Amino acid sequence: MELAEFRPAVDSWLDENERRLTPDRAAATLDEQMAHLATVKRLAYEAGFMRWGWPPRVGGLGGSTLLRAYLGEALTARDLVEPGIYSMTEVLAPTMIDYATPELAATMVPRLLRGDETWCQGFSEPGTGSNLASLSCRATRTAGGWRVTGQKVWTSLAQFAQRCVLLTRTGAPDSAHKGITALFVDMESPGITVRPIETMHGAAEFSEVFFDDVDVPFDRTLGEEGQGWAVAMDLLPYERSTALWHRAAFLHRRLERLLRAAPPGALDPAAVGEVAQLLYALRARSRNTQRRLAGGEHLGPETSIDKVLVATAEQAVFDLVADGLSTDILIEDDPTSERWRREFLYSRAATIYGGTAEIQRNIIARRLLDLGPDR
Amino acid sequence: MDPTDLILFERTVQRAVAEHRGEALDTALLELGWHEALALDPQTAVTTLFMLLGSKHGSSSSLDHVLLHGLGLRELRVTGVVLPPLGQAVPPGELESDDLVVRGLGSAALLAQPEALVVARAGGTVVAAVVPTADMALRRVHGMDPELELVEVTGRVRATAARQELPPSAWSSSVALCQLAVGHELIGAAKTMLELARQHALERTQFDQIIGKFQAVRHRLAESLVAIEAADAMLGAAWEDGSATTAAVAKALAGRAARTAARHCQQVLAGIGFTTEHEFHHYVRRALVLDALFGGSRTLTRELGVELLTSQRLPALVPL
Repeated sequence: MELAEFRPAVDSWLDENERRLTPDRAAATLDEQMAHLATVKRLAYEAGFMRWGWPPRVGGLGGSTLLRAYLGEALTARDLVEPGIYSMTEVLAPTMIDYATPELAATMVPRLLRGDETWCQGFSEPGTGSNLASLSCRATRTAGGWRVTGQKVWTSLAQFAQRCVLLTRTGAPDSAHKGITALFVDMESPGITVRPIETMHGAAEFSEVFFDDVDVPFDRTLGEEGQGWAVAMDLLPYERSTALWHRAAFLHRRLERLLRAAPPGALDPAAVGEVAQLLYALRARSRNTQRRLAGGEHLGPETSIDKVLVATAEQAVFDLVADGLSTDILIEDDPTSERWRREFLYSRAATIYGGTAEIQRNIIARRLLDLGPDR
Repeated sequence: MDPTDLILFERTVQRAVAEHRGEALDTALLELGWHEALALDPQTAVTTLFMLLGSKHGSSSSLDHVLLHGLGLRELRVTGVVLPPLGQAVPPGELESDDLVVRGLGSAALLAQPEALVVARAGGTVVAAVVPTADMALRRVHGMDPELELVEVTGRVRATAARQELPPSAWSSSVALCQLAVGHELIGAAKTMLELARQHALERTQFDQIIGKFQAVRHRLAESLVAIEAADAMLGAAWEDGSATTAAVAKALAGRAARTAARHCQQVLAGIGFTTEHEFHHYVRRALVLDALFGGSRTLTRELGVELLTSQRLPALVPL
């Protein structure tokens, strides 16, 4: 299946099924969004589209990763899914394919693609934000497997998740990036407590997750013991490639929506032009990254440029929203205004989550500009 | 071009730009076959040459040939060309009854040519007229960037019979091509500014460490690279897309990226970058003038905004 063939097939399927695929109301709650996402993924999986671009050994139909990028773009551009929750698949499924045992990947990945399950990513900890290598959630060897004790935080969708890709400390406390091991954990395991955190944009999108002597079988180790840093480093470029292409499509749609919604004269043409140019530049950059990924290239630190661009563009789009629709954002309470407000507030986090803007610039300075270590 | 030809072509152009400037570079480019390359593979010819011109702050009359190529008037290679006036992408001429009013810029090559091509608006159409150079006032521009060797052209001349009507899209596609050329030149200059600042950050020591260790310095350089890479990606996409809108977006981004790089890199280079003992000032000058050729970033950005607000549509440029 080539993109030229896939694109019209997806488009006409979306045209025909628009009603079934469209969420009920503008300001859906996160619970409603999650339920709707499961429906969309199931329908897209049954129609075959959700399986293209994934290898056959995990239930896919093969073909270029560009097919996945296009499906997510089309779903987002039509406002059928929220890109953040949709793209979790793009971040976690490749990790499973690369690092889980073939049997585990073959069992689990189709559940994620089909929308049967939600997975989360247990990376950050209360004492470990930007400095990921300092994490301390402990996994110790027992006769039957790993025993995990510790705490994670900012774990997106943990309260909905059946599984977690979890980074644990298996080496000495000071073993930094060498002593980290990645595990694939069932969220129903005894000893796990999830406490959702209410955010300023009004959704409990992420949680604190507590692990009290949680048993995890050895065959749930992703990669080898001590290879967790590599797992994490390989996962991050995925977060900064296909997921980001989907996010760009979302921003494109919302800016177009703003052009129609803003009262005459409310938007400064120069500001509109500049934000549109940012979005186009983001698309051009992200498309190059998509093509490199599709060509089998290993993505690395250069994706930090894509990440800086998407965060900058997202805040620029919603700063413009705050200008053009200030009444709606500030005092209106109808569902459409509520959605603009929620998205504006969420955009404030764009330079924080998934590696802060400062961390991305540190990566660019060290790895791309070759300025050496900063300490 | 196949990969072997491409490498050879790039090397030859590189040597020409390193060794010559102005008229001598024009001759060298003619000899090495750059004009044939422009006809066969405009993207390779334009990208290769203009990146190098930017990175070596070189000068040539190559933009004239890009304009002619875009107009489909390649056979006029021996004629001088009047470029649009500063800051704008409009034709340099306006036909008023029997007079042709000219206001534009040119390269130094124009001074040696007996005739010049002037594209002019004539009511609703666009025409190409060939005008005796002696009938117009030509002023050598010193200005911000003397090395660019620009010429300012003004005049009111009797419109001769030597003019032809151009196809409706000829001017806009020619402008698009020139915007890409200048865009690449801006990126060439911006990349050199970044490299100069990067080298300085690795060599200059203060408080017992290289200044490249300081996060404030690192982030300025990172910011410059992000702007450059974003504009560069857009230029690539604009070649594929071929539309006037995409080329204008790419030109505006390249102009803004070069200004961003100039600001950050000048700060990192600090005192030495402010002197003529360091080569940095050439690139700042070049970036400012190039940003104003074929539409400045501010103007192009505003025009795009007006267009989007009017249509209330955001075209899906740059498809996967």
